[in-house]
Amino acid sequence: MLLHDLRLALRSLARTPVLSMLMIGAIAVGIAAAMIAITLYHARAGQPIPWKSNTLYAVMLDTRAADVSPRYPQPHAEYPPFQLSYPDARALYASRIPVHAVMMYRAAQILTPARSGLQPFGVSARITTADFFATFDVPFLYGSGWSRAADDAPDAVVVLSRYLNQKLFGGADSVGAEVVLDGHAYQVVGVINAWAPQPRYYDLDGGAFELPEDVFLPFGWLQARRLMPNATVRCMVQKARSGTFFDQLLTQQCVWLQYWVELRGRADRDRFQSFVDSYTAEERRHGRFPRKNNNRIVDVATWLDMHDVVGDESRLQLVLGFVFLGVCVLNTLGLLLAKFLSAAPICGLRRALGARRIDIVRQHVVEVVILALLGGAAGVALTLAGLAVLERLLFLSALKSGNPYRVALAQSLVHMDTTVLLSALGLSLLTGLVAGLYPAYRVGRLDPASFLKAQ
Amino acid sequence: MEIRALLSAMAASKIGPLLVAAQVAVSLAVIVNLTYVIEQRLAAAERPTGLDLRDMFWVRTQPSSPDYNYAAAVKADLAYLNALPGCIAATAADPLPQTLSSFRFALTLRPPGAAGPVGGVDANMYLGTERFIQAMGLRLIAGRNFSPDSVTGPEPDMMTVFSHWAPEVIVTRSLASRLFPGGHALGKTVYLMDKPAVIVGIVGLMRANPLPPLEDLLATQVAIVPMIPPGPDGTYVVRTQPGRRDELMARIGKEFAGLQPGRFISRMEAYDTTAAQVRQGDRASALILGTVAITVLLVTVVGILGLAAFNVVTRTKQLGIRRALGARRFHILRYFLVESWITMTAGVSVGCILAVAAGVEVSRVYQLARLPLYYLAGGVLLMWAVGLIAVLVPALRAASVSPAVATRTV
Repeated sequence: MLLHDLRLALRSLARTPVLSMLMIGAIAVGIAAAMIAITLYHARAGQPIPWKSNTLYAVMLDTRAADVSPRYPQPHAEYPPFQLSYPDARALYASRIPVHAVMMYRAAQILTPARSGLQPFGVSARITTADFFATFDVPFLYGSGWSRAADDAPDAVVVLSRYLNQKLFGGADSVGAEVVLDGHAYQVVGVINAWAPQPRYYDLDGGAFELPEDVFLPFGWLQARRLMPNATVRCMVQKARSGTFFDQLLTQQCVWLQYWVELRGRADRDRFQSFVDSYTAEERRHGRFPRKNNNRIVDVATWLDMHDVVGDESRLQLVLGFVFLGVCVLNTLGLLLAKFLSAAPICGLRRALGARRIDIVRQHVVEVVILALLGGAAGVALTLAGLAVLERLLFLSALKSGNPYRVALAQSLVHMDTTVLLSALGLSLLTGLVAGLYPAYRVGRLDPASFLKAQ
Repeated sequence: MEIRALLSAMAASKIGPLLVAAQVAVSLAVIVNLTYVIEQRLAAAERPTGLDLRDMFWVRTQPSSPDYNYAAAVKADLAYLNALPGCIAATAADPLPQTLSSFRFALTLRPPGAAGPVGGVDANMYLGTERFIQAMGLRLIAGRNFSPDSVTGPEPDMMTVFSHWAPEVIVTRSLASRLFPGGHALGKTVYLMDKPAVIVGIVGLMRANPLPPLEDLLATQVAIVPMIPPGPDGTYVVRTQPGRRDELMARIGKEFAGLQPGRFISRMEAYDTTAAQVRQGDRASALILGTVAITVLLVTVVGILGLAAFNVVTRTKQLGIRRALGARRFHILRYFLVESWITMTAGVSVGCILAVAAGVEVSRVYQLARLPLYYLAGGVLLMWAVGLIAVLVPALRAASVSPAVATRTV
């Protein structure tokens, strides 16, 4: 029975080749538009560390002045600043409640390669406390991180990224080797494996979809070598002061540190929240934290949401993709209706020869399903082509950078994974059915007698 | 023209015209909004910078040793660059215009805490030497340039930059007219926090960096401060004689780093490459959105064509009868065109409402002004034209059906 329907359907499609091509094309283009939009959205909306959704938290304190009305309208004035000041971070670090605590920031360093004849070059550096690697589940290729004691000393140790290790030491085990940063020597204690959480949630300043830093140094070097941050620093400066910028940085006036904690579970979150609140309440007595208590301890999903990593543009593009698909569905519906109704005499003949209404409808539904699957397959091919073109257009600089990890990152942002691929097939079936059910129904309702009488 | 007959014929099989009208409505909304975004993006990318970016390049040095003496190096570097044959002017600059970095501060008419209106205006600040204007290709329209003696610095870091602010400043015409709406900005004093500076010169247009259209006015408000930027990274902008840029860049690449111990060249780029890179995102999105708009239009055209062709086929007998009763070819053609026009009009009316509704969200997300009405008018005209042209070929075919063939029953 189904084989017969199949044969009829194929013959029907072949009978009007141009029309069939147009319908397949319309479905393909609509599916491609929707799938490209979905792929781009899905890449930005991913959860980078879902297994720590109950234990990993970012800390925010509201250090703002009471009556500041910002000159530039802020999208979310109720959010406290995303970063902490140095004295506040140090105070929170003393708590024993978290299993791990991380305070850190991004700096820039100049690396002078050991081999003479090689130019010095700039590297991005993360100056962090020891718990960074355990907290964010950073995989190690060689060696390991450093201890909390190494933070305080501070020890002249460094952890390299896999890319940097490849560039300097050809990918070999470089633990124990020496690296010169800003003219000072550090000893390599670890090399991390390829690691690129998307988005780079632990520090969203400067772009959410970037590679992690190439060099990691113990936090104690901030003071020991006066390592300036190379990131957003917000200071409440009313008039020019004497003293250097660095001195300013270590006071309560500037917020620039990221602060993360790993807690044992949600119960501990409340304990830690009361600790933070009692700290700010105490400080309030000395005139700081003039606003009402707005301290936030948020999990990764909330953190990403507050930064709106997905972005309005992605959402609008998603809407556009589906609107496009809608236009294509209307188009296909009209064309199918036209085709089925103009082939009505044939159906009338078949009904007269004994076919039931349901047979006619079923035969047409099979044709629609074939159309939808062909359109879906073409749509997936078109989607892949479209994503390849987008990759070249949007990420040209990453592709030309010569850094294979940057290239991989760019590719992951336009990569259609299996869930999206399967949903493409499902979507095309759905599209076909929405477009084709009504025409099939209409054709089934036709009265055969009117087609059989002589014109 | 038998409008009533036409309308009742359409009403008898509503679904066809309804589908076309729906497609037209949605396509209008999509195409109008996309075209608006594209036009705004391209306009933002093409806006004049006020700088003369040909024959200009910039070079950045960074220290490779903690003993690097930036203060001595920067003065020697500027002397060397300005003495190079083929160089018209070289300046140190911070930040670089037409990149994504900016210093933005409010300039006030009185120091904070003074009596009377303080009147703050946001300005983009650039630190540079007395050669800044010449190196950037700016045009001085009033007052004078800085004298070499008024150039201060370099300060140890950005904090002390504010405490030792230079006594003079040059502003763009746009900033001058916002600070002093009545004119006569020359010679007046403005304050950065509590530090005064006298406006000694006014230049014409300068755009700091490409910004979304709603913030574009802010980009033209620029103040130039005669101060050598704090190090230890040194950024220099060089204007060369026409055609000599690449030669000078090659020479700098070989000689410049070695002039001072303990540093290297981290980056050197022709200025028009830099400016093009910043605009690359705008151009890419214009291309992408343009492709989407054209494809939507094509899909709609196919829909219109399909319905028209179907109508011709199903009405062959009816048309044949009309021809036999005396209708001319022209009448048949007119019938199809009017029918198409009615469908399109129904579609564009709903489409205009959708376009305006969507336009509100689009303006918010892309930071544009409200959708101008002439875009809607243009979209409507386009849809009408497309509808009429698309139906033309099937209509002509219908009109040339011979009545004898159409009415026979065998």
